[in-house]
Amino acid sequence: MSQMEKKAGLLRRTSSSKKPLKEKVVLMYDEIFSKEDPAKNNPRFWDELFLMKVNLEYLESKLESVDGEEVQRIQDNINSLFHHCIQALGEEHQIKVVNALQTLCALFRGVHQKNKSASGFDIINVLMGFDKAEQRMKDLMERLDSLLCGDGSESLKSLCLKLLLCLVTVTDNISQNTILEYVMINSIFEAILQILSDVSSRGQHGYDAVVLLALLVNYRKYESVNPYIVKLSIVDDEPTLDGMGMVVHQALTEYNRQYKDKEEENQGGFFSTLTSMVGSMFIADADEKLSVQTNEAILLALYEAVHLNRNFITVLAQSHPEIDIAATPATPTPTTPTTPLGTTPPSLDMMSNPELPLDPNLQTSNLLITFLKYASIVMQDTKDEHRLNSARLCLIILTCIAEDQYADAFLHDDNINFRVNLHKMPMRHRKKAVDKNIPSRPLVCAVLDLMVEFIVTHMMKDFPMDLYLRCVQIIHKLLCYQKKCRIRLHYTWRELWSALINLLKFLLSNETTLLAKHNIFHLALLVVNLFNMFITYGDTFLPTSNSYDELYYEIVRMHQVFDNLNCMVLRVSTNTGQWKEAASKVTHALVNVRAIINHFNPKIESYAAVNHISQLSEEQVLEVVRSNYDTLTLKLQDGLDQFERYSEQPKEAAFFKELVRSISLNVRKNVSLNTLSQDVLLKEFSTIS
Amino acid sequence: MMEETEPELSPAPSEQNSPSSSLSTSSSPSLSLPSTPCSTCGPHHTIIPPLVVINEGGAELNLVIDAEVAQRACHEVLQKVKLHGDGHHLHNRPDPETPALTTAVKPLKIQEEEDNPEGSAPGSVKSARRRQRHNPSKQSWLLRLFESKLFDVSMAISYLHNSKEPGVQAYIGNRLFSFPNEEVDFYLPQLLNMYIHMDEDVGDAIKPYVVHRCRQSISFSLQCAWLLGAYSSDMHISTQRHSLGTKLRKLILSDELRPAVPRARRDPLTLMSFCPVISPATGPGPPGGDHGLSPSKRTHQRSKSDATVSISLSSNLKRTASNPKVESSQDEDSSSSSDGLEFETGPPVRLAPQREFIKSLMGIGKRLATLPTKEQKTQRLISELSLLNHKLPARVWLPTAAFDHHVVRVPHTQAVVLNSKDKAPYLIYVEVLECENFETSSVPIRIPENRIRSTRSVENLPDCGMMAEQRAGSFSVVPNYDNDDEAWSVDDIGDLQVELPEVHTNSCDNISQFSVDSITSLESKEPVFIAAGDIRRRLSEQLAQAPTTFKRDPEDPSAVALKEPWEEKVRRIREGSPYGHLPQWRLLSVIVKCGDDLRQELLAFQVLQQLKSIWEQERVPLWIKPYEILVLSSDSGMIEPVMNAVSLHQVKKQSQLSLLDYFLQEHGAPTTEAFLSAQRNFVQSCAGYSLICYLLQVKDRHNGNILLDAEGHIIHIDFGFILSSSPKNLGFETSAFKLTTEFVDVMGGPDGDMFNYYKMLMLQGLIAAKKHMDRVLQIVEIMQQGSQLPCFHGSSTMRGLKERFHMSLTEEQLQVLINQLVDGSMRSLTTKLYDGFQYLTNGIM
Repeated sequence: MSQMEKKAGLLRRTSSSKKPLKEKVVLMYDEIFSKEDPAKNNPRFWDELFLMKVNLEYLESKLESVDGEEVQRIQDNINSLFHHCIQALGEEHQIKVVNALQTLCALFRGVHQKNKSASGFDIINVLMGFDKAEQRMKDLMERLDSLLCGDGSESLKSLCLKLLLCLVTVTDNISQNTILEYVMINSIFEAILQILSDVSSRGQHGYDAVVLLALLVNYRKYESVNPYIVKLSIVDDEPTLDGMGMVVHQALTEYNRQYKDKEEENQGGFFSTLTSMVGSMFIADADEKLSVQTNEAILLALYEAVHLNRNFITVLAQSHPEIDIAATPATPTPTTPTTPLGTTPPSLDMMSNPELPLDPNLQTSNLLITFLKYASIVMQDTKDEHRLNSARLCLIILTCIAEDQYADAFLHDDNINFRVNLHKMPMRHRKKAVDKNIPSRPLVCAVLDLMVEFIVTHMMKDFPMDLYLRCVQIIHKLLCYQKKCRIRLHYTWRELWSALINLLKFLLSNETTLLAKHNIFHLALLVVNLFNMFITYGDTFLPTSNSYDELYYEIVRMHQVFDNLNCMVLRVSTNTGQWKEAASKVTHALVNVRAIINHFNPKIESYAAVNHISQLSEEQVLEVVRSNYDTLTLKLQDGLDQFERYSEQPKEAAFFKELVRSISLNVRKNVSLNTLSQDVLLKEFSTIS
Repeated sequence: MMEETEPELSPAPSEQNSPSSSLSTSSSPSLSLPSTPCSTCGPHHTIIPPLVVINEGGAELNLVIDAEVAQRACHEVLQKVKLHGDGHHLHNRPDPETPALTTAVKPLKIQEEEDNPEGSAPGSVKSARRRQRHNPSKQSWLLRLFESKLFDVSMAISYLHNSKEPGVQAYIGNRLFSFPNEEVDFYLPQLLNMYIHMDEDVGDAIKPYVVHRCRQSISFSLQCAWLLGAYSSDMHISTQRHSLGTKLRKLILSDELRPAVPRARRDPLTLMSFCPVISPATGPGPPGGDHGLSPSKRTHQRSKSDATVSISLSSNLKRTASNPKVESSQDEDSSSSSDGLEFETGPPVRLAPQREFIKSLMGIGKRLATLPTKEQKTQRLISELSLLNHKLPARVWLPTAAFDHHVVRVPHTQAVVLNSKDKAPYLIYVEVLECENFETSSVPIRIPENRIRSTRSVENLPDCGMMAEQRAGSFSVVPNYDNDDEAWSVDDIGDLQVELPEVHTNSCDNISQFSVDSITSLESKEPVFIAAGDIRRRLSEQLAQAPTTFKRDPEDPSAVALKEPWEEKVRRIREGSPYGHLPQWRLLSVIVKCGDDLRQELLAFQVLQQLKSIWEQERVPLWIKPYEILVLSSDSGMIEPVMNAVSLHQVKKQSQLSLLDYFLQEHGAPTTEAFLSAQRNFVQSCAGYSLICYLLQVKDRHNGNILLDAEGHIIHIDFGFILSSSPKNLGFETSAFKLTTEFVDVMGGPDGDMFNYYKMLMLQGLIAAKKHMDRVLQIVEIMQQGSQLPCFHGSSTMRGLKERFHMSLTEEQLQVLINQLVDGSMRSLTTKLYDGFQYLTNGIM
């Protein structure tokens, strides 16, 4: 009821600016919603209808207002309308095509609004009739396919994509959208690929195409064989994959840029100095201002590409100057807005900029770098549900990347060095890093930095356990690769070690609150095993012999934390309870760390006693460590370099279901908002025709 | 000028044929060139320098002359003169065969007229000159030499340059056809420089050959076009536009000189091969290769077909000049970023792909120069090259390579920016597939970058350093696949479990062995213990074992790349390449220079190459390494990098050791074989380059310009200051060559045997060079023509060079000279001063 009112209000508002008189098209709609066949009296009815400017609001509200019985009566007319829409798509007259596309939009939406609870089959029946549905949808998809692949107007292509997006997001849960069954059978995958492979069409429609693809891939992905998944996974055409990468790259770049602008806006002036003086009081406010609408749709597309298509990995490293030369369209893009019905396309000026600026400050970039920057922004604040989802998805993508051999190879490639300016959260206890001085390093350093940054900044009451687990697992996977391939990365491992030890400390001090919600022993086990990796296999991947000494130094220095952890897990594992087994695993894992502490502590103490020094310097401790290795025996632990591979099903299925739902809502909102403004389109076609 | 001494000598051989010789000398003062007034070169016309050389040659060398061939060639020359003679029969040797040949020579005249309108009037000054100059008896001597087996390209070039006799020039122009292509190619800069800067007779003589070769080969066409452009650049802009060189360049670039298919059968006739030397065919491809070596009927039709060539040439010239579209497409300088980077633009444009390729490489260099830091340059370079990769493979090749190939991929991440203050030279590695003939073999199909993943196994993982001791993987997958789409991505790091053959069985292998065995569970197994000390020890051992690499320095990105042994780099890149599995796969590298004039470098290369072959011929074990230079224009080009070599500057900066200590570190103790052989290499190369530096007056010898290769050779690079030019005229570097005490230390000190060996080598080298001095001088002298290069500054360049060969000294005197030079260089304060100066100004150690 309230919804009806809202609709009515909406209607009134829009129609108030128009003439009170009923338009001709409205009269024609009324005819359709009568029992009679509208073509009976006027054989040219359908021809005329598609020459009229569509009144989406009216048509949709009319469809919604029809109640159950009436539907039965007018179903033939609706079927007929649907049928004629599809036929009109084949018309030469572009105005007709435009109107038909928009009418179809209204039909899909209106019928679904009305029958929220109705089964998909009923909806199909209402729209096209069971018996004809297959043929109708086949025709529709074929027409759309040829429109998308043809040389027709770009605006028309854009509208086709809007229609498809509209159709795909018409239900909250994409998997319940039964009409999509026909979209599966009559694939438009090739059309999407074609759009992505062509430079100019990618610039204009790439965003919509990528989002559409991401959504289609998620249709009943766990229940049935989705042809889009199969097809996406075997694409190996470089220009197409590059094109997809470019679209994602542009969208993420745009986000990063917006964020940076806002950040700079916030930093200047009196207010920011005030906040920094008063402390963190206003940080929440500032954060709110800084939050730019995250874009999960594009992130989902990136995930699907990385996860499904092994060839896409190379695209991640495909570096290009900030402004893509290859994207320079051969033909100048029209100056009129090309996506009048856009969802939220990223600004296109980047893509269509034909000039190659020689700004020396511009850094060369690639998709991976942009993604890491994006992730660093998103991970700063995970309170908001969207941002939490984004952060989680980012970590999942990173997990997939860390598991991939090719990706690891270029992450660790000594020749591919970049400065990656990750965004760091302003915190009380540390100054904002002067980010100009970051050295140029292999990309894996940036990934590790990002992980360390996350670990130290999210130790809070509302503990994001899931994200922490992913984070630690990503580090583990990277270490496994380094061990395997004997890559001695020059990284300041110390920062990682101290971050991990601090994490253990946090787990210990918040044991009771955390245990109520999470299995902290699992995380502790992963963390301790990271140390075990360094202890047992350090010889294969540490950069210097000194770094091995430093590892011991760090463990001995922070022995209290490990001691406490040991006490805690012993206590829990001796009690009977749900954590017994989990805790005892940690006890076993701690064997070597404890051995190290027990071996070196007395040595250090005696060294201090002999030399009459109360406080040993780091150099002195290292000296003790170096001279006492030989008497220390460690136990070899198994499976340290094994990990469970990422798999979406069943663990992540629920997350993705929810994610796709929220993306669907978002896309639908944007499509519908923009579909209403069609003036530009009509202007274009009035000159064409 | 060397001719100045020769008038006295020239009458020597003319004793037997007094009437004609007297005639020729008496009439010579009235001669003049058709185009230039006699004031410029009049005096030289009296001289017939070649004769001197012939005489010498005839006396010393046992000439083997094919009488029949000689006669026939002689007739051709004579006949030609006769035709132009207008009844003035100055040569009175009746020859029974002459009438028969008259018709055959006729076409030659047609050709002449086609090419130079001035020549169309038979009774003009030109023909008169020819007539008068002609001296039959001298010609016969000349002919005997020309027909001899000893007459090589070097001599041909020399005669072409020195002879003012059009008949001789025309003859040599024809004779060029009979030399193997690669031998002529060496002198291509000389040929083209003569074409550009000498009078038209020389041009006419050379042109048919050049045109013929251009038709045969794309590579030759482009080479010519580039060189013509570069060597024309010193001309005044107004004359340049209308010069022969520019016209020929336009003609070549307009791509009119494609192999004429319908004429293919007649092509054999265009060959003028007096000695039936079968030059190696350039593959089965281009028609008109060398298939027609039928010595019987060549003369006649040869000239005829040449005439047709030149007819089409001249008409083409007109067309190109009036066609703005062609003109603009030839504008090499307007190379914008990446517009139309399509190298493969279909068959009609033969030259386009390669030109585009070169143009985009130059474009990258230009854009890099605008970036301030090395790091930005490097990143930009990598990304630009990755874009370039999208256009490959294509029918493009590296002209510096010795074999036919197609470029398939540029491993962009391996490229480095080289050290230079304001320009941006860069080094790229290029993956190529060797092929039969790059013009006709089909271009390989593109293999996507990611295709590698299916073929790569764990052994080949990039950056898998220390392959030898890689131990068996203790990786294993937790067999936990779901049936979801994971099935499509399998070869991730979890799967990397390939058992590698154990090479080293040291203690560390036990661990992995155990862990492989005991995957099951912790508790069920006997605990395995390891010593922490072992882990620590292995770490330091393995770090020590790693081959000495240079530390990565963002300010000097090339050091690391150049230090890596070439074989290792090839292996590494091959493993990372989607084309790596192909048997024809090769790796090449090239330095792209943009904004630098490489013409001097090319000259130095030629001199070095010449000296090298002289020393080889004389069996003197001096070692030098001439590296290929490709001149693209007067301010751009490419250089073949020296393999496995880093500069002394980089060596010193990175190792912080003296040169001797570095040798000890790299090659082992002084008594080891490795060290001794490195030392011997060092001495032999030092001797070679000391002589080069002395002869060519190579300056700017700081440590950044001297490379040290993995075998201990030194290699001098950067010949920007040679002959008459020296940097900034600071008066530094007065010593003959660079010989620091560090060098002498490596040789074992000034009293050691190796040092004496060094001096002995230099003596032998100088004696050998002296013997073949002309072959060296000739290269330089021809290039001096019309050149504004700083190395030719002043008037004494040639004289100075000649003097440094010390023709007049005896062997004993030369020995004294060498000792003086060595002592002087060793003691030289200025060398030290110059190094200090370089350290202060450029940070070069």
